[in-house]
Amino acid sequence: MSTKGTHIPDWLAVPFAGITPAPSQERGQDLFPTGNWRAIRPVYRDKMPPCNNACGTNEKIQGYLDLVKRGKYLDAYALIKEDMPFPSVTGRVCYHPCEQACNRGQYDEAISIRAVERFLGDLGQALPRDVVTAGRPNGKKVAVVGSGPAGHSAAYQLARLGYTVTVLEKSPKAGGLNRGGIPDWVLPQDVLDREIERLVELGITIKTNTEVGKDVSWDELKKNYDACVLAVGLTEPNSVRADGEDKHGVVYGLPFLRDIGMGTSKVKLGPRVAVIGGGNTAIDCAREALRQGAEEVTMITVEGNTSEMPCVPEDLHDMVAEGVELMHGRAMTAALGNGKVEALQLCRARFSGAINASPIAVDRESPAERFAVDNVIIAVGQHASLPWLPDEFKNERGTIRIDRFGRLGDTNFFAAGDVVQVGSGQPLMVVNAVGDGKRVAFNVDKVLRGVPLQERMVPIDVITDLARMNMTYFPKFPRVRQAMLEPASRRRTQDEVIQAYSEEQATEEANRCFSCGTCNACDNCYLVCPEPCIVRSVRSNGLYKILVDYCKGCRVCIEECPTGCLEGVPELDFDTGVVRMDTAFAITPGLHGRQAEELRRLPDKAPKDIENWR
Amino acid sequence: MPAIEIQRQMLPMFPSPNQGARFYNPELPETEPFVPGHRTCAGCGPSIQYRMTSKASGDNTILVGPTGCMYVANSSYLCTPYNVPWAHTQIGSSGSFTAGVAAAYEAMIRKGKWKGAFPNIICEAGDGSASDIGLASISGALYRNHDCLIICYDNEQYANTGIQASSRTPYGGMTTFSPPGPTIPEAKKLFPKDLARMMAAGHPHCYVATASVGYPIDLMNKVRKGLNHKGASYLMVYTPCQKGFVYETPRSIDLGRLVVECGLYPIWEWNPEKREFDYSFRPQNMRPVSEYLKLQGRFGHLHAEHIATLQKFANEQWRMMKVELPAALIRAADAKNLVDMASAEAAAAIAETV
Amino acid sequence: MATAVAKKKKVRINGCVAAAQAAKYADVDVITAYPIRPYTATMMALAQMVANGELDAEYIVADSEHSQLSIAHGASSSGARVFTGSSGVGVQFAYELYSPISGTRMPVQMMIADRTLDPPGDFGSEHTDALSARDMGWLMGWSCDAQEAFDNHLLGFRIGEDRRVLLPQMVCQDGFFVSHITTDVELPDTGQVQEFLPPYTHPYPLDPRRPVSHGPQIMPEQGPPLQLERARAMEGAVPVIEQAHDEFARIFGRRYDPWLEEFMTDGADVVFFVQGAHAVTARYAIRHMRERGAKVGLVRLKTIRPYPTDRVKDALSKFKVVGVIETNLGLGSVSSGGVLYAEACAALYESPTRPLVVSFMAGMGGEAIVLKEFYWMTNKMLDAQKRGAIEKRTHWVGFEE
Repeated sequence: MSTKGTHIPDWLAVPFAGITPAPSQERGQDLFPTGNWRAIRPVYRDKMPPCNNACGTNEKIQGYLDLVKRGKYLDAYALIKEDMPFPSVTGRVCYHPCEQACNRGQYDEAISIRAVERFLGDLGQALPRDVVTAGRPNGKKVAVVGSGPAGHSAAYQLARLGYTVTVLEKSPKAGGLNRGGIPDWVLPQDVLDREIERLVELGITIKTNTEVGKDVSWDELKKNYDACVLAVGLTEPNSVRADGEDKHGVVYGLPFLRDIGMGTSKVKLGPRVAVIGGGNTAIDCAREALRQGAEEVTMITVEGNTSEMPCVPEDLHDMVAEGVELMHGRAMTAALGNGKVEALQLCRARFSGAINASPIAVDRESPAERFAVDNVIIAVGQHASLPWLPDEFKNERGTIRIDRFGRLGDTNFFAAGDVVQVGSGQPLMVVNAVGDGKRVAFNVDKVLRGVPLQERMVPIDVITDLARMNMTYFPKFPRVRQAMLEPASRRRTQDEVIQAYSEEQATEEANRCFSCGTCNACDNCYLVCPEPCIVRSVRSNGLYKILVDYCKGCRVCIEECPTGCLEGVPELDFDTGVVRMDTAFAITPGLHGRQAEELRRLPDKAPKDIENWR
Repeated sequence: MPAIEIQRQMLPMFPSPNQGARFYNPELPETEPFVPGHRTCAGCGPSIQYRMTSKASGDNTILVGPTGCMYVANSSYLCTPYNVPWAHTQIGSSGSFTAGVAAAYEAMIRKGKWKGAFPNIICEAGDGSASDIGLASISGALYRNHDCLIICYDNEQYANTGIQASSRTPYGGMTTFSPPGPTIPEAKKLFPKDLARMMAAGHPHCYVATASVGYPIDLMNKVRKGLNHKGASYLMVYTPCQKGFVYETPRSIDLGRLVVECGLYPIWEWNPEKREFDYSFRPQNMRPVSEYLKLQGRFGHLHAEHIATLQKFANEQWRMMKVELPAALIRAADAKNLVDMASAEAAAAIAETV
Repeated sequence: MATAVAKKKKVRINGCVAAAQAAKYADVDVITAYPIRPYTATMMALAQMVANGELDAEYIVADSEHSQLSIAHGASSSGARVFTGSSGVGVQFAYELYSPISGTRMPVQMMIADRTLDPPGDFGSEHTDALSARDMGWLMGWSCDAQEAFDNHLLGFRIGEDRRVLLPQMVCQDGFFVSHITTDVELPDTGQVQEFLPPYTHPYPLDPRRPVSHGPQIMPEQGPPLQLERARAMEGAVPVIEQAHDEFARIFGRRYDPWLEEFMTDGADVVFFVQGAHAVTARYAIRHMRERGAKVGLVRLKTIRPYPTDRVKDALSKFKVVGVIETNLGLGSVSSGGVLYAEACAALYESPTRPLVVSFMAGMGGEAIVLKEFYWMTNKMLDAQKRGAIEKRTHWVGFEE
């Protein structure tokens, strides 16, 4: 017997006939980890999508579009509400810097983010109870002066943080610029009313007809509240410094719109109306003039052509479609007429952009023109009116002097919105004011809690290069257009011009979102891994894990990540000489004895459930 | 004893990952019959295919692995990555061993010796086994119509033995058995065996299809169709080999798409009921073959005339698929409009020194 | 099968059909066939049984012997009892599979009806086909008639499937001399077979409920322990073979020595050492020569793998001269004749009393070894005994004076 007296040493033990028991599905073939082959390790690192970054209040746009894709509308609405108190408003009025930034814009067409936001905002409006609730009361009181976008946002965030908030509004109705600066046919008043109701539902007290400096003093604010946010906006219209501006028939843009919005307008327009200015307010005024009965509306801009105008091109396009005429390169130098304006004196002019002098250069050499009108609406910006503010907090532009946290010196007064702008007097976009209000509210909270105010130090990685993503996965797909009323039918009514998305449209449009730089649980990495060493206990955004004991660093997952949230980091840090590899070849003598033992016990083991796999 | 009726598994199809503009893979089974801890090269195409296939087939599956990369590299050193039964068989035994497993289960279930639904029996043969040495055994299994799925994971060469030409190696493909040199500048002179079509033509009762790792859900659905088909099925899957094709590992899936987009790997199905080919699969784009070739070192020696020859071949494939050829692809079949591969001269020089 | 209890019965069948009958009684699950004479008749018989519904098995007509054995390997790995077979070059065509099947310890049963290897095409029996695979880890032995063939097939399943063994079996019979000669065969009662042969179960089959991998790659140092285990299984088969033969005798009433059949060896000086069917002719020749005073006998090797070395040594040491009848071709081998010579001599090497050993190339190409050739060979052995030395190691019978 040749085999008599033979024995197989433990270190050479092998299972019967080399028949190997199956490895564990959970642990993998742990006798043979391959992680030490790797030079580059894939890591999930969500980037900042450009839309989120461009948004004035950093709405998690990619996030809510992803939720809309999944049909989780309420979750999507709740996500917007973290940063935006009134998506139904911004869903209508926002000048959507997000869409300008959208990466899809360099591929086919940007996502119609605003339309999806409006869909969600309207969904929120219809809810009997809002998803947002007030924070647990912390016993501290904060006053917010002004109920425009910035004040609304600050009050909303403070209430969520548990503060007892009182909003002071000098007008008879809350809403500020949301109400006074935006015509009904863009933002129906009942939509705004509902959003203001939501503030009241959060326990916020809104005191209308209450003006600082008249009904309540600076010292009273200081005494009665733990902190105060000043968001009074720019209330006073700028003059064009023309002769005869005080003539009857000369009105200013913002008061014109505001009075219509408040229902207190006494203006009756004649058939020929000129609008001075080339900004968004001017466009709203021109279009409103049509609806107020004007027959011929002419917009007179100092800018030489439409592309120079500081306005949103879509709105300009819609205005022209409604029949407003444009006259470029002119400045109004006088209102002519006997007590009532009958004509304008126009001079050739250009926008110089000068900072130390008037930005408008009027060509005094060329002959003045006469332009017959019945009314003129001047919409060339606003300035602040702050007689009640202590001088130490005023800056050279007449707005409030704040530090980079929105704070007035070391007081518990903060300011937000247009009233802290040092710019040209053009109002902020609503969304920027909302963001301003939000950030200030958080700073108020920190100050009241005694937490130091610090700026964000971590750099953000905004993903704007399509080469960082994999475009193969995104076929070209046209934008879902929002329906609009025809120009002929809309130009005389207060009916909303732009129509809402249906649920299907909202989902279809959200589906176009690349989810730039962000894991959206598409499962592609999980599917293409050759090992496979990408695991997930549940399929959810960002919950993927790479088993570094096995990952060989092939980077197929990185290449095939549609959104670009996967990236490679070197396993060997050449600067420090640190080797991060934490596995090694594990086949050591004797290891197969374990397999031999496992195999021996296999027939007694409970059988695998092969009937109910999934 | 009366024969027991055999229950067959019916696996549902996966919906498309493209839902309108949205890319979102369908829900995949949780089960992982192929686990990590194996010695395939980083980015291995056949391994990707193996994972997808086993994921689609599930736990009631038996895998047969004829000699090839998926044997040598996967079960190295008695460390098996298979969570379902797997058996090695000889490289020429791909179809026959599989047939044996299928026959055994037919008999054992019928005779009450094994209880349960008929398992998914899958053979994973490399193209060497499938197109050369095991061709007859596979043909036998298909002809006899055993209820099994035979997959040719086609990496277009004998890779495990160190990159040798197989009958699936494309024209112009450099391998250690088909090197380029001054006398044979194009390296491989022969065109690949039209293997899957041969299987469909010769075994029309079988479900036969081609697929590529570039289209995972299509691949997984074809696996399921093949398994659901009562009788034998055959699937030929393009699985790039990083080592033999000489490309950067992250491009494995990308090549799987490009080869289809360049018309070098037509994706089709043979419908055994209607007895006709289904050519309805269309890649997103159509591209000249050079876009595929230039990513791979194995084509680095090609001159313009060789690229044109491959383009002509691709154009014929498109015509076969009844796709109208864009003018650019017709132009690309003329060597005058092409340039040599960047490394063509360097490759020739090296070849002379070896 | 329990319902179809048949009584014992005697039938007149040839060796091929006897093998087929054994497979039927063993209730095999999978049969793989590929035609090559002479074993084909076994598969023809099984095909008819399946067609008639007498046997419930998958009957697969393979595309080659290589496929046949691969199918058998796959089916056995899955837990099925498998029967296959071949002859001549067919045995060679499947050669690749022999080691994998025994290495994975799958008790496939293969019936071999010997046939001379090409060239040229020759239907006659020569043992070279099977003997060339003798070291591949298969249990191997020759039957000399149809009854023994039937019995050896049942014994083969019983021994090969034993958990202590788990090895494939080549159950060999000479082409024509056994395969195609009809004799009386006693077929057992199915109840007897059930008692003798429990259902086949492999401890680790390809079963999705208990997943395992068969035949993975190994490191070089993992080869020796696996080979050692296979060697142990082959050696460990020895007591199992003996037990099985005892059980067989108890249940069926026919007792065989599992290793050697000794015929008229009492007082013999010279003996033939032979495998298979030519032993039948040899018995006649010996009886005849004994009547004439020649002290000649016969030792028939029944099982060549595992090789009963000590039994061969003990049995052959008693004689003066041993004449090995090869019936196989071992070109350039030890004796420059066949391969059996070396097997006999090696067994005798350690014996203190070594007989002279001479090898006879007889029965080559499937020729019958006729009586006068046995006489001629006996004379050669007696001459050697007289001279105390052999004339040469190998004689080509029929080509010498």
